[in-house]
Amino acid sequence: MFSFVVAHPPALVVFVLMGAFIMPTISHFRRSLCGPASCVIMLVALMCSFHLARFAMAGNTIKYAAGGWLPPWGIEVVINSFSAFILLIISFICLLILFYSTASLQTEIAYNAIGWYYTIFLLLVASMMGMAITNDIFNMYVFIEVTGISACALVLAKNTKMATDAAFKYLLLATVGSGFVLFGISLMYMITGNLNIDYVAMEFRQVYTQYPFLIWTVLSFFLVGFGIKSALFPLHLWLPDAHSSAPTSSSAILSGLVVKAYIVALLKFYYIIFGFELLDAIFIRHLILIMAASAMLFGSMFAFAQLDIKRRLAYSSVAQIGYVFLGIGLGSPLGMAAGIIHIFNHAVMKACLFMAAGAIYYQTGNKQVNKLQGLGYEMPITLGAFSIAALSMVGLPLFSGFISKWYLAQGSIEAGMPLFVGLIILSGLLNASYFLPIIWQAFFDVDQHKPKTFTLDAIPFPMAATLVVLALTIIYFGLNPEFPLTLAQQAVMIFLP
Amino acid sequence: MSVFAKLMQNYPFFVSEVLFCIGIYTTLSQTSLMKKIIGINIIGNSIFLLLIAAGNIREGIAPIMHSGDHLPQEIVYVNPLPAALVLTGIVVSLSVTAFALSIVVRLYDYYGTIESNEILEIRSWE
Repeated sequence: MFSFVVAHPPALVVFVLMGAFIMPTISHFRRSLCGPASCVIMLVALMCSFHLARFAMAGNTIKYAAGGWLPPWGIEVVINSFSAFILLIISFICLLILFYSTASLQTEIAYNAIGWYYTIFLLLVASMMGMAITNDIFNMYVFIEVTGISACALVLAKNTKMATDAAFKYLLLATVGSGFVLFGISLMYMITGNLNIDYVAMEFRQVYTQYPFLIWTVLSFFLVGFGIKSALFPLHLWLPDAHSSAPTSSSAILSGLVVKAYIVALLKFYYIIFGFELLDAIFIRHLILIMAASAMLFGSMFAFAQLDIKRRLAYSSVAQIGYVFLGIGLGSPLGMAAGIIHIFNHAVMKACLFMAAGAIYYQTGNKQVNKLQGLGYEMPITLGAFSIAALSMVGLPLFSGFISKWYLAQGSIEAGMPLFVGLIILSGLLNASYFLPIIWQAFFDVDQHKPKTFTLDAIPFPMAATLVVLALTIIYFGLNPEFPLTLAQQAVMIFLP
Repeated sequence: MSVFAKLMQNYPFFVSEVLFCIGIYTTLSQTSLMKKIIGINIIGNSIFLLLIAAGNIREGIAPIMHSGDHLPQEIVYVNPLPAALVLTGIVVSLSVTAFALSIVVRLYDYYGTIESNEILEIRSWE
């Protein structure tokens, strides 16, 4: 199996895609089997991508010409440390979310929609994996559109007034965003006459001095298009509604992975085609830094004002997207490695937080952040996992969030912009201001007359197990960050030669 | 060559950019959800026009060759790749439109209107 995947990497995407379209058949015979079946599919995908990551970590690069058509004409797939790392993140987080959803889904969406829900979920996973490994700009556009449509469908699955409204807003803005991206791609094709990223980059180096205005247009169109889709600060308007009204498993994957997948595409376009010197020379890098800094501050401030737990977490995502963009904008080796590693850390933390919020709603029916008094004694597993993820979000040492902040701070000193260290600390304090009250309420604001004894959570086993695994992951990679750090540093070598 | 003459020669590009702006404006400013969907279709079509114009050559012919033909030197062929890309783009745009229309049907069931400002008003009462 592994040697087959190494020889034909797109088989991984095709495998998940086939799984997506088998789901309705399975649901026709046994509806309760859909969840476990998709877990098995993701488990196989996780094993394959772990093998690919080990393979890429050893310094190998796989270049695969799809259908036997060689690169300038055909679609090329590239597995290097960067795309293998992204594949690993996607399959790991999705496996846990799918395992959680086997227990939580039937309480949240209509019973006859469950089979189709898994279809769309796996479709989303397959298209994100495709985005990570493809090396062809038009193929990238197709995957971007598939991701956009299936992400909207995941929001829509809840079928409430609020979710429908949010899904329409999301679809509209995502389509405007992909319009900008496609315009940029067509202009790139006009300038260079190629669609393969490597060939576009090679051609671009020779001709870019002839098209100064077109390059401005292309760069700003990519920034606006991917900025809308990945909710960079002033363009984040669709995110809070969509992420807070979706079912729990959808919110976790949307907030944890989907917005990052677009950042992966942006990284490939910006750093492989244009290169750091050009981004620096025409100040698009400074624009990214300004937007990232305002995202880190205002995202946290908006989050502070929200009373609904999931809305607060959604606004917190806006702030955390700012960290990833900060790493990209810094452009120094350590800063970019921190941005890439934060893609992983934030995916784990945000999935854990959203699932804990879902578990709280499952047991108590409570959505408000100010009604959690003493809940830590009733739901120690859920609130324990929530506290670990929240403290990691704040950036305390021993947790994985600290690792990305530490390297971001080092990277900003390396890039000669020490002002951002202060900004990172300030943003961490703002994070603390809206996460610590929840933890304090849950564990310390207790009714004096009630007995202070821990009782085990009344949530199904898959929910509790997922939360425990995610919390342990946060602590493990906070103590031993070598594995993701090595992959991220190898990935930076691709972008900053 | 003056700017105006250049513009007249390359008018498809100019038209596509104007259409793109019209599409963005329609999508973001109109209150009717149907008009917003028409807006995203205008955006898509403007980009398809740009791609087709980029691949086109005046007096060029379709790149179809027969094995026995003797190839005359003066014939120029149109680039077929943008046409294939546009075909893919049209399929994507069609599916987005169908999906958006189905959401609008659902919204009409819930709110009894397809004006976004009225939907906002109804949501603020609840």
